[in-house]
Amino acid sequence: MSATRTFDAIVIGGGLNGLAAAGVLARAGQSVCLLERAPHLGGLAAPDASGAPRMAHLLYNLSPVVRRDLGLGARDWPFKTVALPTVALSEDGRHVVTQGAKARFADGGTHPDAAGFAALHQRLTSYAALLRQLAEAAPPGGDAPLLSSARLKEVLRLGRVGLGLRRMGKPEMRRFLQILLSNAYDLILDDIPDSPLAGLLAADAVRGAAAGPRAPGTVFGLLYRMGHGGGASLPMGGMAAVIDAFAGAARQAGAVIETGCGVARILTDQDRVTGVITDEGETLNAARVLSSGGARITAEMAGLAHFDIEASRRLRHVRARGTVAKINLTLSSLPAIPGLPDDLLSARMVIAPSASYVEEAFNPSKYREVSPHPVIEALLPGQTDPAQRGAQGHALSLIVQYAPVDLAGGWHAAARDTLLQTTLNTLSRYAPGLPDLVTGAEVIPPDRIEAETGAPGGHWHHAEMSLDQLLTLRPAIGIGRYGMGPSGLFLCGASAHPGGDLMGLAGRNAAHAALRGTP
Amino acid sequence: MSIATDPKLGLIDGPVHPRLAALNRAQGWYGWAGYAAPSMLDTVEFEYFALRNQASLFDISPMHKYRITGPDAARVLNRLVTRDVAKIATGRVGYALWCDEEGMVIDDGTLFHLGPEDWRLCCQEPMLTWLLEAAWGFNADILDESREIAGLALQGPTAYAVLCAAGLDVAHLRPFDLEEVEPGLMISRTGFTGDLGYELWTAWGDALPLWDRLWQAGDNLGLRAIGYEAVNIARIEAGYMVAGVDFQPAHATERLHRGHTPLELGLGPMVDLTKGHFNGRRALLATKPRSLLMRLDVEGFKPAQGALVYQAKRREVGHVTSGVWSPTAKRNIALAHVQIPYAARHPSTLWAEIYTLEEGRWDRRMARLTPVKSAFFRPPRARATPPDLI
Repeated sequence: MSATRTFDAIVIGGGLNGLAAAGVLARAGQSVCLLERAPHLGGLAAPDASGAPRMAHLLYNLSPVVRRDLGLGARDWPFKTVALPTVALSEDGRHVVTQGAKARFADGGTHPDAAGFAALHQRLTSYAALLRQLAEAAPPGGDAPLLSSARLKEVLRLGRVGLGLRRMGKPEMRRFLQILLSNAYDLILDDIPDSPLAGLLAADAVRGAAAGPRAPGTVFGLLYRMGHGGGASLPMGGMAAVIDAFAGAARQAGAVIETGCGVARILTDQDRVTGVITDEGETLNAARVLSSGGARITAEMAGLAHFDIEASRRLRHVRARGTVAKINLTLSSLPAIPGLPDDLLSARMVIAPSASYVEEAFNPSKYREVSPHPVIEALLPGQTDPAQRGAQGHALSLIVQYAPVDLAGGWHAAARDTLLQTTLNTLSRYAPGLPDLVTGAEVIPPDRIEAETGAPGGHWHHAEMSLDQLLTLRPAIGIGRYGMGPSGLFLCGASAHPGGDLMGLAGRNAAHAALRGTP
Repeated sequence: MSIATDPKLGLIDGPVHPRLAALNRAQGWYGWAGYAAPSMLDTVEFEYFALRNQASLFDISPMHKYRITGPDAARVLNRLVTRDVAKIATGRVGYALWCDEEGMVIDDGTLFHLGPEDWRLCCQEPMLTWLLEAAWGFNADILDESREIAGLALQGPTAYAVLCAAGLDVAHLRPFDLEEVEPGLMISRTGFTGDLGYELWTAWGDALPLWDRLWQAGDNLGLRAIGYEAVNIARIEAGYMVAGVDFQPAHATERLHRGHTPLELGLGPMVDLTKGHFNGRRALLATKPRSLLMRLDVEGFKPAQGALVYQAKRREVGHVTSGVWSPTAKRNIALAHVQIPYAARHPSTLWAEIYTLEEGRWDRRMARLTPVKSAFFRPPRARATPPDLI
């Protein structure tokens, strides 16, 4: 081995947040090395070998702020994205199609609740746009001097949020503050009767969460999803295009990216980070280490002895209980869904026939069981982008909820089979012939997601997006501004503010925090 | 911090309660960690002078005692306390204090290095959950021994002679040494009086025979059972602080900023900033002391307990936490928190406003304060090894 390599910063983990962090640091003139344990980049976004989605399959919140900071274009991403309509499937064939604030029946008929839905959608997106400003910077607070530019910017930003609130007018501002911390179930059913349309919103509010729509704070979940308008879009070329764009930006700025290279330990000396040791035993020097792994695993890599006792207690109590399984089916031919025109097979299809259905689906997970009637988000990506059709047949990408990580008895093969059967049974209510078309199936329960990506508990956000784990409390009080423990150590993954969801903001914000930091 | 106990339970008997109850002519009891402990058995004066001139026996079994064992025991302790425990050799006892993440003292106590990977922590505050937190993720076990281990403090100039008469050879024990002198009986040359003295540690059930053995041995050596009031005078003379009196244990405070850093308690030398990370280190590096716990000689003879401290008789700059007339030092002594600029600058301009209640009349008097560097009473016999056989 030649001389020890030295960098200004090392980024652990090559998911979108890690790549965003590496890109921002490199573009600021830092020498950066990104280390990814898996043989490929992308983390939860990484596609399968054929280019079809493996875990994440759609984009909601990919941040233009990140795009700007990565130099990936002022107007649009270098890859094309296609906005998909959403279909709320109904057993009676009266499926509901939504696109933005518009709702109609799949057969073209007018939906009786279209006006209520439009008003609710419009209101939620305007609230979400307001809150988004908070996501695009480190959480407020910190110890920057009162007259520093960082603090002035923060005051300006908070002022804009406050001004935005006032601009809503008094009744609307009061309503916003009233619903912000409340539950999605009541909010939705106040405006529209319980139906597939209401079920769709309820499912969107809790997707990825260990909560049912009646839980307090789920309105925030819905707002989070609507941070950039709420539309789901499919990247042409698949997630690979997104990952390549992020990685390309980082590489172009000079970042070294190494895959198949995990970090065993984060090194410190005199309470400062000095570098890392890789799984292979190579030592890399750096005064800054940004980890996109979970908060607790990051602390353990550095050694708990370097953290205050209170901090380690909080780290191990960060709630990250994954409740979502990913199932990837291969179908021999396209399924027939009675009542759904063929052109809508390209849509995001959601099985959540009512808000109550979603709540009932959640109940078994409280007792570490799988929902007998799960909430499913289904996507046939090949219908929009042939490159994502899969190796053979048609790839059907399914997000199945609730399948808790701590399943009673564990996620052994029989449990995975049961989940698959439950899922197929549920699908067959809407697409009767579908189970016969299945030629291949891969079940990825949360424990697998954790094993493959390092996401704590297999949770998409590395830490539940609940009100007690947001902003300065994310992932825990005292480590809510990216820096944690020894000087030079930063959290840059989804467990940091503002969370995951293929947004890239946590990594970008953390990089800015690291640049402001003082090693 | 007081322990929440069921009031119906009342105070629990300690391991030597039958002997204490028989001796407690004054019927003075107080609650110590839920146990009935004597505040005074006959008169404070008798007990205090027995402590300073003869020998005294005080039951310290209500102290909280925790055993820390395992390969990472020292790492856990170094994470916990502010000093470097690597410097406490096996067979030695070390005074230690520990802080929360803000650098505020949680409690202080004594660390007994019993053997390889084997430690005992004795302290005033319940600390089990905190120790379990400190040990989480480390290969160390925490055991609450509070109810298993009894302790008797034998203190005073004839303490060594009493032990000799009891057939216990401790001639070679230097201050802060510990040794298992007999199977099941550990003696450490430690105490809370600043005098020659020993603490004897044994199983809870063996405390009563041990008491009797010492009692018999002390028959001709002036041995007297004492209560806390006498101990309290002695500990102020020695300059020792008490949790809840001279500092507020951080975990027991509900109001903001009522805690104190080690520096504010005058215990800066107990903090080793070079040993690596320990709890509160970053906060201690980032904060400046706001006040200082000072040892003060008070003019006159009125105890200054509870007095406010003034600078130049005008500006209120602190308060006395412990104040007593020291019969041995023949001085009026006090421990007081004084705001930092005034504690350091012109300390000779400090005054205490002492409040007195004499036969139904409240009065106050200003007494000049003189800072004292070391303990008010620090006899050479406390350090002589072997001690004189008086």
